[in-house]
Amino acid sequence: MSDKKHNDHLESYSRRLFAQRTSLMAGLVALGGGSYLLQPKGAWAADPIKVGIATDLTGPISWGGIPNANVAKMVIEEINKGGGLLGRPLQMILEDTATNEQLAVTKVRKLVTQDKVDVVFGGITSSMRNAIKDTIVNRGKTLYIYPQLYEGKECTPNLFCTGPSPAQQCDTFIPWLIKNGGKKFYLPSADYVWPHTLNEYAKKVIKKHGGEVIGEEYFPVDHTEYSATVNKIMTSGVNVVFNTTIPPGVGALFKQLHEAGFGKKGGRLACVYYDENALGITPANEIEGLATCLDYFSAINDPMGAKIFNNYKAQFGDKSRFCAGGGATGMWRGLMLWAEAVKEAKSVKRDAVAAALDHAKLSDGPGGGCEMVPGTRHLKMNMYIAVSKGGQYKVVESSKMVAPGECA
Amino acid sequence: MNSILPFLFDLLAYTAVFVIIVLGLGVIASMMGIFNFAHGEFLLLGAYSVFFLDRAGVPPWMGMVCAPIIVGVVGLFLERFAIRRFYATPVVAMLGTYAIGLVIREAVRTALGGQFYTVVAPLDGPIMFGDLSISKWRTVVIVVTLLVLLGCWILFKKTNFGLKVRAALENPMLARASGVAVNRVYSATFAFGAALAGLAGALMVPLYPLNADMGVTFLIKAFLAVMLGGVGGLQGSVAGSTLVGSISAALPWVIKPVVADVMVFVIAIMVVKIRPDGLLSKRRS
Repeated sequence: MSDKKHNDHLESYSRRLFAQRTSLMAGLVALGGGSYLLQPKGAWAADPIKVGIATDLTGPISWGGIPNANVAKMVIEEINKGGGLLGRPLQMILEDTATNEQLAVTKVRKLVTQDKVDVVFGGITSSMRNAIKDTIVNRGKTLYIYPQLYEGKECTPNLFCTGPSPAQQCDTFIPWLIKNGGKKFYLPSADYVWPHTLNEYAKKVIKKHGGEVIGEEYFPVDHTEYSATVNKIMTSGVNVVFNTTIPPGVGALFKQLHEAGFGKKGGRLACVYYDENALGITPANEIEGLATCLDYFSAINDPMGAKIFNNYKAQFGDKSRFCAGGGATGMWRGLMLWAEAVKEAKSVKRDAVAAALDHAKLSDGPGGGCEMVPGTRHLKMNMYIAVSKGGQYKVVESSKMVAPGECA
Repeated sequence: MNSILPFLFDLLAYTAVFVIIVLGLGVIASMMGIFNFAHGEFLLLGAYSVFFLDRAGVPPWMGMVCAPIIVGVVGLFLERFAIRRFYATPVVAMLGTYAIGLVIREAVRTALGGQFYTVVAPLDGPIMFGDLSISKWRTVVIVVTLLVLLGCWILFKKTNFGLKVRAALENPMLARASGVAVNRVYSATFAFGAALAGLAGALMVPLYPLNADMGVTFLIKAFLAVMLGGVGGLQGSVAGSTLVGSISAALPWVIKPVVADVMVFVIAIMVVKIRPDGLLSKRRS
């Protein structure tokens, strides 16, 4: 359309318009980009210990970021109710990294240089961790705790990982899949770092236990049409689909597999990030029998896990539940371990806390206790294999204190 | 034979979904010259309406009838209060609609808590022909797409309203002078385009999980289809979307999906190079 056709809407740039727009801009700048401060309640004599939380409250990864922030708020309030740490309250400074790595670097720089936080928790995706770790750990000289399950190989000093590693998610799970599915595996995957690196590890374990990889295929992360792959899976006698494609595309893949009759013919779906929140992605009958391996399920019904689950539900509702697949359990463990380490070190100084964190342990937590493997900055923890039945997970096997197998 | 039939069906089903997504975008782009970057979010609103009504106890087929109406009303409201101000400046219109889309997307994200949801199709599961399984819902989508195409053709080519729309597109000044309420025609066209997006979203939600980014996924390829078809007519958009949709669905059968995604654009750019005015264009005199 040309200007001629609609010139009745053209306006001259008046002083009033300039004033309006300038004030609008000023207002937007003043609102800022989503930084929240949670002040400790009550009267405290000492200065607060500052805890920086940088996670994705908006954007595509907010399914994981929102529960992470909720858990952090819940744990920090609980610690404050119990008298804080070293007689000081905890102050939570929450930054929304908006699933945007460039923005996130700015946000964590603010946390470490302006707010001068004593520790940073956060990041969900590996690309996010890689983007922000240098700003926090090297240039910011601050402790960083990463809560999400991931592909391993993160051995940066002063960076502690509190989610499961590939060894923890595959070592018992893949033999189980061979026994309860079959030997022929197909690996449909999203094309980014986590599936690539996890598959490398998974393929080794599959071969070691006498399995066979029929196909491994990478899709653009927003891929939604899988008919070609479904056809290959159905015509090559695959027993187990070990999936690392991600939402929303994963819903289309599972639906197409279901409609092609993969489950009916005895095929087994497997997906290691699929937690209770993910069960909503497809109707229950389409993923009947899907197996996963995570560090916590509400179906375990351990007293500590149930207590955390119900507290969380009472505070934040049912919309995004307390689950293992998005780092919420890792966030809980990370905060509690860090609190233990601060108590032991009697300081919030990085080196002292890191030294104490290196051998920190929790006797209980969601899914059970955990302990750092000294020198590796990764956790030993209990792992559970669960199968979906009628839209609920049923735990079928549990392994005590599985080693992370990282950075040894 | 055994793999040709499912291949053809999947090709047709994906193309049908894609055509219906692009149609609304094409109507607005070709009739009004507005590249509506909020189109993906109209689609999302359609899907969300079905989900919302489903959770409120309304049967999904009823939700699917309501969704286009709801999104059409939202479109009408937006045209009256925002889009109308952008007609003179197409570039600002792109930014403006992008902003509107962002607001809708993040609002829905908050409402969903960032999670993914599904709605069970009114007709669920496959029909089996021996070894061949045909998805019932995908069949419905193909049929609805064909009906909508027929309806659009009748609306724009055979009715009085269609004549006014085409007159307003060809020469708004002359149309206005001839007694056509151009502003009202534009409002109605925009609302119609939005309603088509709402319908696309409603039909898609049983196939692809509902989440705030479901519209964005399709938006870039949808724009590609509109450009390929040529701005200026509805047939162009249909031809463009058929081409882009079928290439997108067919290529992963023969080459790596990651490469296929790039190849769709390479092929499209080649076509645009050969036919710069669009697939079906008769050069304007």
